[in-house]
Amino acid sequence: MSEPNDAGIDVDEYEDVWVFVEEHAGEVMPVSWELLEEGKQLSEKLDQDLVALVIGEDLDDVAEAALERGANRVLVADDPVFEPYRADPYGAQFRAMVENRKPTIVLIGGTHTGRDFAGRVAVPTHAGLTADVTEIDVDDDGLLQARRPAFGGDILATILCEDHRPQMATIRPGVFEAGDRDPTVAFDADSITDVDVVVDESDTVSEVLEREIGDTADITEAERIVAVGAGVEGDLEPALELAESIDAKLAASRAAVDEGWVDGSRQVGQTGKTVRPELYVAVGISGAIQHLEGMNKSGTVIAINNDPNAPIFEHADYGIVGDFAAVCPDLAETLASDERTEVTP
Amino acid sequence: MTTVTWTIVVGVKQVPDADEVGIDPDTGRLDRASAPAVMNPPDRGALEAALSIKDVVDARVVAMTMGPPMATPVLEEAIAMGCDDAVLITDRAFAGSDTWPTSLTLARAAEQLGADIVLAGEETTDSSTGQVPPGIAAHNGWAQLTYVEAVEPRPEENRLVATRDVEGGHERVAADLPVVVAVAYGEFDPRPAPLHRKLYAENDFEPIEWTAEDLDIKDEVGLDVSPTSVGGMETVQPVERKGEVVETADDLAEQITEVYS
Repeated sequence: MSEPNDAGIDVDEYEDVWVFVEEHAGEVMPVSWELLEEGKQLSEKLDQDLVALVIGEDLDDVAEAALERGANRVLVADDPVFEPYRADPYGAQFRAMVENRKPTIVLIGGTHTGRDFAGRVAVPTHAGLTADVTEIDVDDDGLLQARRPAFGGDILATILCEDHRPQMATIRPGVFEAGDRDPTVAFDADSITDVDVVVDESDTVSEVLEREIGDTADITEAERIVAVGAGVEGDLEPALELAESIDAKLAASRAAVDEGWVDGSRQVGQTGKTVRPELYVAVGISGAIQHLEGMNKSGTVIAINNDPNAPIFEHADYGIVGDFAAVCPDLAETLASDERTEVTP
Repeated sequence: MTTVTWTIVVGVKQVPDADEVGIDPDTGRLDRASAPAVMNPPDRGALEAALSIKDVVDARVVAMTMGPPMATPVLEEAIAMGCDDAVLITDRAFAGSDTWPTSLTLARAAEQLGADIVLAGEETTDSSTGQVPPGIAAHNGWAQLTYVEAVEPRPEENRLVATRDVEGGHERVAADLPVVVAVAYGEFDPRPAPLHRKLYAENDFEPIEWTAEDLDIKDEVGLDVSPTSVGGMETVQPVERKGEVVETADDLAEQITEVYS
């Protein structure tokens, strides 16, 4: 028989790897499938179930997609109270599910939504919650090893949660790669469990007045990226011209996002997204470690910067010291006339 | 017309100045100890948001920080910007706290101050978990609004309306009070501190000091109650790149086309 530890927790009571599948009005955030694929490794090592958790309204399609992407089971909390997303009903529902079913590991996408409600689960359950995890594994004792960059990114710290459960982690979009959907996966009615909804509209303390989604660019799947940093000083035109010439998507460093030049959904870095294009062109980006974190999985890295001492040149394959406003259009002109840059479908 | 007086509490933190963090020549690691300590830059936006609410609603704004007595300058900065009072929460018992006991401590302090609204930056530049503002809300069972870019006080409804960045879009959410608000970095331009406030803050102002015992959480803070611990550290090896610098845009174009051929 297992016994409660000093924290009053019997860790052996907790099993299964849970992955939160984030959806808004039926549209699943790609990070969910990335975590499901990575969660599979953990559940196989532990010889436990990989369980997808879906909260929202009208979730049949999402639940089936989760099974076809590798979940052994899906837990569904389906109710109008969950659409659109709000922290308090999501947190209360997720917490109740954790308390009733006791998962050992819970993975949540490090989106604004995931980072918003994760604490409302971890605090009342006294779970360990690690933010911005970039590598995960389980050791021989089944303990989650959650690694995250620390001290500005030059150190990778392993965060453990030895005495408390569940072991929770938020992981940014693009850190892991999604698997393929397998429509031949067999499942039955038992594969999907509708859980009791514990939240009532009258309990809520917030109300969504309006919600408008505009720029939903997904830079994590782009094959070519042109990214701008503080050095462009708000002048995006040259970089956009270059991006157009090679059919690349626009991205940005944190500095350019904080200045309001580019939407936060296009931010690359430790506190943004991780990208892995075959070509990454950094325009006016100095090369802070926190930015490199998000782009070091790229194929070829090109740097354009007017400061010859900018660290980005050490982290690029090819660089040019010069004024981006002159280099970008020159480059665009040369590339636009080169048939090899045409995108083949 | 009835007058409501809101108590607005702003959580601020002292962090090493990210722009001044050097490399330790012996270890090759970032040397944070020698960097000057500053207020976490996103918290300055939270102070501005608080003071902007006070511009239109009768309110008392109190800054709070958890840290050693040497963190007092961030409270003085808050006072200089226009806060009415400030609390230093300091105790050796807090050592080793992860975000769970940290948010508990700030939650209790906010409660003790009678907060209607708690504001903080979306995350700190030194640990960047972003977990503390939602943690405060969770400990107290309060409403929360994160990634907030604009606030509209609604004292007549006893609510706060905020515009949130929801990645690729925006939403406006009304929250019942008390509410914890994490402001998006760069959205609130902090007002300059007038000279007379600076002088007052530096020469005459003394913060309120609270210990873990004052908050009745002596046995609920520190390393022992923190669910997470650091199991190890390793230096990140940078990805090997060619690091070639070329002279002309044509040379660069040549390398770019290589990627496709």
